[in-house]
Amino acid sequence: MSLEILLIIAFGGAFLTYLLGKVSSRARDSFAVAVSLGLVAFVAFLYGKPLEKTFYFGFLDLDLVLRLNMLSWFFAITIASVGALSIIFSLSYIKAREKTDFYYLMMLLVNAAMLGIVLAGDLLSFYIFWEIMSWSAFLLISYNRGPALAAGMKYIVMSIIGSVCFLVGMLSLYVSFDTLNISQIAPAIASASHGYVLFILIAFGIAFGIKNAVLPFHTWLPDAHSEAPSPFSAVLSGILVRMGMYGFLLIFYVILGLKAFLALGQGLYSFHYILAWIGAINIVIPTFIAMLQNDSKRLLAWHGVGQGGYMVLGVALGTKLGVAGGTFHIVNHTSYIALLFLVVGAIEYRTGGVRDLNSLGGLAKRMPITFIGALVGACGLIGVPLTNGFVSKWLIYKSLILEGHPFLAFAALIGTWGTILSLFKFLHNIFLGQLPEKYKDIKKAPFSMQLPIVVLSLVILVFGILPGIPLKVINTIGTSFGFESLNVTLWGITSETGTLNTINIFFAVLGAGLVVWLLFRFAAKSVSVPQEDSYAAGARTPADKYHYTVEFYNPLHRMIRPFLRDVIDEFYYQIASWVRAFAQGMRRIYSGDVGYYVMYIMLFLAGLIFVQMRWEIW
Amino acid sequence: MVAKVAQIILSPILALVIGVFFLSLARKIMARFHWRYGPPLVQPVIDIIRLFYQKSVSHGQMFDLGLILSLAGSIVVVLFLPFGPICPLSGSGGLLVILYITLLAPLGMALSGGQGDNPNISIGISRKLILGLGYEVPLLLVLLAVMTRYKTISIMEVVSAQQRTGWSLTSLPLLLSGLSYLLILPAILGIRPFDVSSAPQEISSGPMVEYGGKYLALAKIEHAFALFINIALFVNLFLGGAANPLIFFVKMLVVFVLGLCINAVFPRFRIEQAIKYLWKWPALLAFLGLIVTLATRG
Amino acid sequence: MDRNQIAKWLEAPAKMANKYSLHAIYFCTGCGIIEVPPVITARWDAERFGVIPVATPRQANLFLITGYVSVKTLRPIIRTYEQMHEPKYTVGFGSCPVNGGMYWDSYNTIKHLDKYIPIDGWIAGCMPRPEAIFIAVTHLWTLIDKDMAEGYVRYRKSYRAYRRNQEMALGKLDWPPLYPVSDEPRGDEQ
Repeated sequence: MSLEILLIIAFGGAFLTYLLGKVSSRARDSFAVAVSLGLVAFVAFLYGKPLEKTFYFGFLDLDLVLRLNMLSWFFAITIASVGALSIIFSLSYIKAREKTDFYYLMMLLVNAAMLGIVLAGDLLSFYIFWEIMSWSAFLLISYNRGPALAAGMKYIVMSIIGSVCFLVGMLSLYVSFDTLNISQIAPAIASASHGYVLFILIAFGIAFGIKNAVLPFHTWLPDAHSEAPSPFSAVLSGILVRMGMYGFLLIFYVILGLKAFLALGQGLYSFHYILAWIGAINIVIPTFIAMLQNDSKRLLAWHGVGQGGYMVLGVALGTKLGVAGGTFHIVNHTSYIALLFLVVGAIEYRTGGVRDLNSLGGLAKRMPITFIGALVGACGLIGVPLTNGFVSKWLIYKSLILEGHPFLAFAALIGTWGTILSLFKFLHNIFLGQLPEKYKDIKKAPFSMQLPIVVLSLVILVFGILPGIPLKVINTIGTSFGFESLNVTLWGITSETGTLNTINIFFAVLGAGLVVWLLFRFAAKSVSVPQEDSYAAGARTPADKYHYTVEFYNPLHRMIRPFLRDVIDEFYYQIASWVRAFAQGMRRIYSGDVGYYVMYIMLFLAGLIFVQMRWEIW
Repeated sequence: MVAKVAQIILSPILALVIGVFFLSLARKIMARFHWRYGPPLVQPVIDIIRLFYQKSVSHGQMFDLGLILSLAGSIVVVLFLPFGPICPLSGSGGLLVILYITLLAPLGMALSGGQGDNPNISIGISRKLILGLGYEVPLLLVLLAVMTRYKTISIMEVVSAQQRTGWSLTSLPLLLSGLSYLLILPAILGIRPFDVSSAPQEISSGPMVEYGGKYLALAKIEHAFALFINIALFVNLFLGGAANPLIFFVKMLVVFVLGLCINAVFPRFRIEQAIKYLWKWPALLAFLGLIVTLATRG
Repeated sequence: MDRNQIAKWLEAPAKMANKYSLHAIYFCTGCGIIEVPPVITARWDAERFGVIPVATPRQANLFLITGYVSVKTLRPIIRTYEQMHEPKYTVGFGSCPVNGGMYWDSYNTIKHLDKYIPIDGWIAGCMPRPEAIFIAVTHLWTLIDKDMAEGYVRYRKSYRAYRRNQEMALGKLDWPPLYPVSDEPRGDEQ
């Protein structure tokens, strides 16, 4: 039971699925599900076993190392689980499309590559798996053709820029320390000069920032997530983007170490404080832009950008509560954003690809389990108590307030209200309100779609009511970084500056709900009325028109829309158009007229002769 | 243990009684402002009893469950809020938990109303949420100033700190924050000029347009709880709480009558006017208050 | 008023509560609505009787038909009456709902409103003064005490007759019957 067998199963399973697909599609489906579930079981089995294995392939005289510590296991179990749930979801979603073998190959390949990234113990294997993940994600984003091609192009260009920065950092480390093994670089870099450390951090920071969609590198994310097929959007937004967070944790705490990280710069200009501010701005602006969106997947994609801000904020703080909160938020965000993307996928599947929030409505009556999944996911994303989002946010807020950063805390807290507004618009325009005529006979989502939705909802609720289960793992990660241990119980955290006790909240809500329900039950009976019997000032309710969705927050939009233009996106498009203009200009040299070419040669020779005569170089 | 259980049962009942008393006081005092007699003080109780005996219509499961969730959420907030010496669940997360559990009440109403098949409900809820965003900006700055000054997230500790050093409202660092909180209190309570989300004349009571019978009764009870919770929070954080429940009640009464005076005089703001107001002076005052608190922190 | 007699409350709380909490739907039928704002504002204060206006029929239990009823207005009146919850009381206000009043020979008005929705009491006058409204409210209390304000029960029992009258006046009705007019069982009742 070792790491290379895990990776062989992962990669081999991907290719075997593709080959099996040429034979029979049913066998391919079952095999894909079996491989992904097997990976989950395998990773779960490896819990708590620190492993390391070195390979020498003679490639550039470098060792390739695979290792598993608690941080890697934490990410690996998340990757494997989300991958398995997405594959189960895809069974119905992808059934009627073309090139399904290719789709399954790429999904499993992305899964395997991400597992490789978190298991990599040296920077070269990290880079190899990073690249495999990047281009297989690109192929999947462009799967739908049409506008997805442009979205994929935007993604791959920015991802390549990030990979080049990574390569620069990696090469610089190799030249300085003559090794790429992470455990050997870590003690060596502690004694490097501050300027060099800053350079390394910026090089790797750009790479991971582009992948994690930190402002100002976020512009690829809304297009890519909305155009990708929904099960892959769940993987993409859930865990692929958070590979950037894994990179941040690696570079800040594993390679650099806590003391060196906090010692860069001083006071207000310290590196981690500026990074915390970038995280804070990253929370506020995208969640408010999400409120203005009319496409359900774009709304969720902007939340993917926004919640990344919480993680960056928590990790950049450098305190035990902050890092615990930021790291916990990674797995929390995976659970609810994957859930919400799968919900949108189920809606797309049943309505024939409709994503427009202005034309849906009332689907809670026809798709109840999907609605409950969306509700739990939305509550998790907002951070309602009894969901896991609340616990991680509570940790981050407590750390911010007690360390004396109230403005950062304000940014984080106001992000929650932006989330509330945009997610209520999402829930209301899809599930509540009047059911349009054309969706009156919609069927429920198929079982293979309901299963991942239910599983993820249960994860959100269980991790919210009994947060001790994941907090134990996170505490181990925190102590491995050098923080002191948190006092974690099954249902919360006790400390001298305020405790969190979720089981109290759970029983209080249950008790209060029971009392109110009894009161409700013993009052006069109520009669169920159909949708048409609603107050309309004594008139008949207009069919298909008695529903308020368009411009749901119109008064607020008019006030804040001018401030929420994505100027960074426009700036990048401006740079792209300048490059195109420059290239157009350069193209003119090839005019196709031989006379011009002869003139160029004559001019160049004349220039060379002039230079020789004047300065006698040769 | 027995004391704890007694507190858990007593606290919501006390909140309900005080909340309903505030509802009746509101109608009576508004009537007296208008130079008329007004209903007797037991009128809201009569209304609620009548509503429980009246039949009602339901638009689906979510319609019922959302309202139950909303009222349950309010009761849970009451359990976490100190009222004089009574506070059953104070040691479970403090002010942050309260900030988040108060989200359950409007969320429940929003979900319940969403199934009401009526665009008036949707308009009312969208306005309620926009108003919520409006007053949260200064409110968060005020709460952060309080938490920074007393270096704690637990309300009980804020109250006991004020017993030692005097009211927050009259202490120099928190004076601006307290003023800002007073300015946004009508928006939090949902009284004029900020009752735009349930404007009877405009959107036919907004989220309550399809509520009748027991639903309306529960909505009124929820309104009573909301009054209690928001005023009690202000008294705890800025007027020193009190060791004696009677003095606490008197403080709440003074704040409420002040709010009623504003309610009697002002017409209703449109939602854009409400947001412009909330994000201008109260937010500025709260921001300055936070800076002053940071500057004078030891 | 016997509003503070505890014994009566303990004996029949539903009746007492229905009496002293009459919420009138603010439905402006005809010219009579001009008499309602003075009643509910400061000069003649209706709130001390427990009567306040509400915006929607779901929250109301008193329906004042304040003036002449044209054939066009009859549809919203019936819809609004059916959307109110039981127990509910209707009062015809002014002479026009009683017997046609000033428009007794018009082709466009309804002369006897009682054929289309059940009315519990009438207030004569063109227009009645606010004091007449208060006398009507106290009369309604007496009727409720004596179980004589049973218009909604009448509506339920004789719904077939009422619906036939409504169809004769308005033609085809575009809302389903409130109570079953045939022997089919009704939709789910919780």
